[in-house]
Amino acid sequence: MLNRSLRVLALIPLVAAACDRDPLANDDGFEPREPITIPVIGHGMITGRWSAEVAARGDWAYTTTWSRRVAPGNAIMVWNVAADTPILADSVIVDGAATLGDVQISDDGSLLVVATEYTGGSIVIFDRTTPDRLVQLSRFTSEATMRGVHTVKLGHVNGRHYAFLSIDPSPAQLVIVDITDPENPTEVLVRVMGQPYVHDVFVRDGLLFTALWDAGMDVLDIGGATAGGSVQNPVRLGNVVTVNGNVHNLWWYHDAAGGKRYVFLGEEGPGSVTGGSSSGDVHVVDVSDMAAPREVAFYHVPGAGAHNFHVDEEAGILYAAFYNGGVRAIDVTGDLSQCSADARAADGRCNLELAGREAGFALTDGNPAVSIWGVARVGRYLYASDMLSGIYKLDVQPLRQ
Amino acid sequence: MFEMVLPRGRFSPAVVLSIGLTLLRVPLSAQDAELRVGVGLHAIGLATRVAPALAGETMTATYLTQPMVFGHVAGGHGRFMATLNLEGLTLKDGELAPGNAGEGWVDKRHPHTWLHEMVVTATTRLAGVDVSVTGGRGFAPFGTDDPMVRPFVRYPANHHWSQILERWLLIGAVRRGRLTVEAGIFNGAEPGGPDDLGNFDRFADSWSVRATVRPRAWLELQGGYAFVESPEHAGGFGLDQRKWNTAARIQRTICERRRIYALVEWGETHEYVDDLKLFIFTTVLAESAFGLDDWTFALRYERTTRPEEERLLDPFRVVRPHTDENIIGATRWNTVTASAGHTFAVRGIGFAPFVEAGRSTVGEIAGGLFDPAALYGGTTLWSVSLGVRLRAGARHERMGRYGVAMPAAADAAAHNH
Repeated sequence: MLNRSLRVLALIPLVAAACDRDPLANDDGFEPREPITIPVIGHGMITGRWSAEVAARGDWAYTTTWSRRVAPGNAIMVWNVAADTPILADSVIVDGAATLGDVQISDDGSLLVVATEYTGGSIVIFDRTTPDRLVQLSRFTSEATMRGVHTVKLGHVNGRHYAFLSIDPSPAQLVIVDITDPENPTEVLVRVMGQPYVHDVFVRDGLLFTALWDAGMDVLDIGGATAGGSVQNPVRLGNVVTVNGNVHNLWWYHDAAGGKRYVFLGEEGPGSVTGGSSSGDVHVVDVSDMAAPREVAFYHVPGAGAHNFHVDEEAGILYAAFYNGGVRAIDVTGDLSQCSADARAADGRCNLELAGREAGFALTDGNPAVSIWGVARVGRYLYASDMLSGIYKLDVQPLRQ
Repeated sequence: MFEMVLPRGRFSPAVVLSIGLTLLRVPLSAQDAELRVGVGLHAIGLATRVAPALAGETMTATYLTQPMVFGHVAGGHGRFMATLNLEGLTLKDGELAPGNAGEGWVDKRHPHTWLHEMVVTATTRLAGVDVSVTGGRGFAPFGTDDPMVRPFVRYPANHHWSQILERWLLIGAVRRGRLTVEAGIFNGAEPGGPDDLGNFDRFADSWSVRATVRPRAWLELQGGYAFVESPEHAGGFGLDQRKWNTAARIQRTICERRRIYALVEWGETHEYVDDLKLFIFTTVLAESAFGLDDWTFALRYERTTRPEEERLLDPFRVVRPHTDENIIGATRWNTVTASAGHTFAVRGIGFAPFVEAGRSTVGEIAGGLFDPAALYGGTTLWSVSLGVRLRAGARHERMGRYGVAMPAAADAAAHNH
């Protein structure tokens, strides 16, 4: 009798502790965060053109331009971002381009590549040895790229350097260009894919992830797996069609501990860009089994839609551009498939916002109105391109601690 | 002049043109010994100036617009009609028209396809009801007449909200007394250029219905609904449209020398992805023309909203096919247009010189990216046009109706020139 009573008494503090536990805590022990307002420390303005993508390295950032505002979207803006306020140091005009929708800096920082649309689509490769003095090395165009290069991504595979071009329809297709010799790029693959577009890709460790819109995401071996694939002949390993489709962009996340479990997909839903009516979530796909990827979680912002993003892998923070919804930071550490019942959607996916994984936000109060296209992090700073006004500089160090 | 009444059995171009009727095995009346053939020509020589057209600059352009050859062969219970449009030659750069949008063009009207219309209609009477079946390429039974047969040369901004044109279609129509009801199926995709003859594989993915009441011979009331699948993406991946239109039309000769025409219409186009409604575009239009002897004076007011999309290097073109489902805003266009013209004939060819002027104001209404003041260099756009219409032969009185949906008077007039 006494032992039983002691056991009951022993249980009491455990029960009490359980009652104190945050009911929203995920089953893997993740403690929900209180999101912070990410400080905006500088703003570089241009208004004659709409800004598009941003790429950054060191003290320099580059934004491209889109469609026609007063002037056409044929300019690359070169920003000195050493100080808090980005200073426009130079601009480069690309002949014959209506839109420069994408810009990438190579891993070693020596090259900057932009994609051009529409007719006469191409990629233009610049030498970036002097960051504020871009020197054009070459411009690649072919019959396959004629309708326009919507996005470009760079990657190394088996010692060679490639550019992966997503081509505007019809037909939509992926073109891979060997840029190992950047002055003499050569086409190595043209493959029709996507329903109805292949919008973007992500390349890493010999694997290629393709954003195929309503056809979801393909995972392809281009030399990093054992399926016999190559850049010249990618072999599909697996596919997943995520909720709502419209797969727009991707990031295969390698966490600080070496885990490679997740691919983050951006969904670009339909809507009026800015004006509070963009739509689309960030989707989380578990690729533990590359042959059978499965969606496990999502992040949703009411009235706003995801666009491009950047992952701080060291800190486990995903920064997403959300058009009129500003910039959102999501804690992506740990097991994203685990969450409390309150945070689990009816289809079984975890709602990362309800799971308390929103770590921070910026430029969300609508004053001024923004339309954030892309984000790029360098150290403690995050650069966000705003279609309406240019470039913002944010201090994300509070999220990196 | 250009209309021939030929005895049956005599070899002639009219017999060749009536192959369509033969293929339909239309039961021609044994007592109907005549084929009626009509051929007409139409074109407008035009000079237009728009200020501002873009970035504060004025633009002036001259062209031959609406050049058409049309003809019909009718006999017994059948009728074959075709309209060839030559704008693929004469309007390669489009026609300046602030506020216009459609088929990948913006602030310019797109050139029509070579084969603007080609339909075969069989008509009969069953149990006191007039019935017709029309097949071929032309206008779906929806909305109002094509602006080509209306008083102004400048198309209204609502052209693609109020007409569904250049589709492969099959239309059934019944008329009893003053009421006519039409139903049609057609391919949803709009043409991508003058050479585009349409997507047969999408035939019948879209449909429309229209009811018309004619309380008087000169008064027409109509209302209709259309479902159009992915008109702006030939592959079917674009937004679908659900459309409504209602209109009242008057056309009357008041006395020997005075004629009056008036049209009032309202329309809405809703754009969907599956069952999710994304955008709503509206139009209200009122136009009137008054004819006194050989003079015609006309006035139009229009208030129409349209999407704003990503523009190409040519600022009068937008991306087709779309690369995503977004728009960058929506604008409302308020336009007043006035015209005056005079008609005379020389050797059977009708000439109608005219002057036409329009004033449009534009405002962004969706809180989107689009800034009309920045793009145009202002929010009030003026246009003035000087031109001359040329006509010969048969007249294309109405454009957008076939078979028993045509009012009897117009039907007779089209045969008798």
